Amino acid sequence: MIEARGLTKRYGDRTAVDGISFTVQPGRVTGFLGPNGAGKSTTMRMLLGLDRPTAGTVTVNGRSYADFPAPLRQVGALLEARALHPGRSARDHLRWMAASNGLPVRRVDEVLDMVGLTDVAGQRVGRFSLGMGQRLGIAVALLGDPPVVVLDEPVNGLDPEGIRWVRTLTRQLATEGRTVFLSSHLMSEMALTADHLVVIGRGRILADCSMSQFIADHAASYVRVASPQRGEVADLLRAQGLDVAVHGEELHVQGLDAAAVGELVGRNGLLLHELTLVRSSLEDAFMTLTAASVEYSAREQTPAGALR
Amino acid sequence: MTDTVTLDPHRNVPGVRRPGFAQTLRAEWIKFWSVRSTVWSIVALVVLGAGLTVLVCATSADDLADGSAGEAAGSFITWGMTIAQITAIVLGSLVVTSEYGTGMIRATLTATPHHGRVLAAKALVLTGTLFVVGTVTAVLGYLGGNWFLEREGIGLALGDEGVLRSLLGSGLYMAGIGLFAAAVGLLVRHTAAALAIVLALILVIGNMVVLLPGAWGEWATKLMPGNAGGVVATPVSFNPDLLDPWVGFGVFCAEVAAVLLVGYVVFRRRDA
Repeated sequence: MIEARGLTKRYGDRTAVDGISFTVQPGRVTGFLGPNGAGKSTTMRMLLGLDRPTAGTVTVNGRSYADFPAPLRQVGALLEARALHPGRSARDHLRWMAASNGLPVRRVDEVLDMVGLTDVAGQRVGRFSLGMGQRLGIAVALLGDPPVVVLDEPVNGLDPEGIRWVRTLTRQLATEGRTVFLSSHLMSEMALTADHLVVIGRGRILADCSMSQFIADHAASYVRVASPQRGEVADLLRAQGLDVAVHGEELHVQGLDAAAVGELVGRNGLLLHELTLVRSSLEDAFMTLTAASVEYSAREQTPAGALR
Repeated sequence: MTDTVTLDPHRNVPGVRRPGFAQTLRAEWIKFWSVRSTVWSIVALVVLGAGLTVLVCATSADDLADGSAGEAAGSFITWGMTIAQITAIVLGSLVVTSEYGTGMIRATLTATPHHGRVLAAKALVLTGTLFVVGTVTAVLGYLGGNWFLEREGIGLALGDEGVLRSLLGSGLYMAGIGLFAAAVGLLVRHTAAALAIVLALILVIGNMVVLLPGAWGEWATKLMPGNAGGVVATPVSFNPDLLDPWVGFGVFCAEVAAVLLVGYVVFRRRDA
């Protein structure tokens, strides 16, 4: 379990993380979602004892990271920026890490095999592709077989096969009862992997809820209705107190699911040509939620001189 | 799905339960020897240190023998080390700055979140290696260079004053100057900057402070790290006005310790 309480990080005038509190429970995948510059990596660095919080605390299973005698056995981390020397082989990188925490060398070969890098283990990591580097980073995270796994943008640079592999792996780690904390700026990826979401924007928590709760709260849905008797259907539904909007030939109905709308219309002897539940994507929901907190955004281009 | 999943407590891989300094030292040792720059620096140190000593003895043996050089043979028998120290500086600097240049420092500190222990292990690996390599290099240079000196009848025996001391002193000075560069590297976190500062201090400023007027110039020259520490590495110093070998080396060690201490304090306080 990971617990952040009033966690704050300031760099001069800029507040990167602004008094956030959240809990990451074991046995499920918790997604840490936010646009670039929202404070995800800073939070993760504080969690790993690399950056000192300006205020507040973050603990793993009740202890500060630096208090673990063998931290790699407790917390496995994939750091966002590649924390590797390009001239060292993948195997040597894992060897020194294993040695530092008193792990047997045998474990190095196990994790290399687990991430599929056995054949290139002797190559210098400077020659690795982005995807291979990410796999090595995940091998590092799994080295100590830790109960808590923290992955910063694990699918960055991975091909579709690699993305699916990470997804399966993280799900499996959670099923085994581990605490899995996964950051991403891609809502679509989170939707497929995470059970629980912590959404951050401009250093503040915007949402902390289960994925299904997030969908219910933030992804707007309506029933699209097409009918040759459009006017009558609209009147009928409005009479039930539903919110009906007319969009050309279609009606957009909110407040009732598709089945209930269909039954209502059928009972009143009216015809239907189309009845569809439309859900705005999670991506849209995420965009709406974080729109105000995006640090850098591309402006809509205005043609020169158009203002006057 | 959040309830009743518990992780198998016996899942953990075997190994040392409470790793300590020995494990950190082992990790730093693996790191040190698994990059090519270490091997290249050490090869360069041996080749320059021993090779240049032999070369300078071979070319000046006759002038030394007939007195026309106006110098003592003891000033030449470890001469290559004054150039070889550049590679010790490069190696010492890289041990620290390459971690910052590549982001490795974050992996290092997540594996061992104890700044003091990491720094001590790094320092021990670096100085231990440089002491052994530096001493061996000086001995090789002595054996090769002395062969030419003996042909002219001015050979130096190991028992002659300062000879044995200068061979061990070469190892000590290489270790010290490497650690000095590492400490500067810890402060500036940039390879080129660390090298520029240390090389300028040792090779340029160290030789120019003599231009300062009067006692100022005299003492600045004596106390500059390269001048104070270097005397122990040669049986007879070219400059007779420097500190005595062990006094100078003591001053040098204090200077290295001071920079290292500042580096450590900054290292502890700074975000990685």
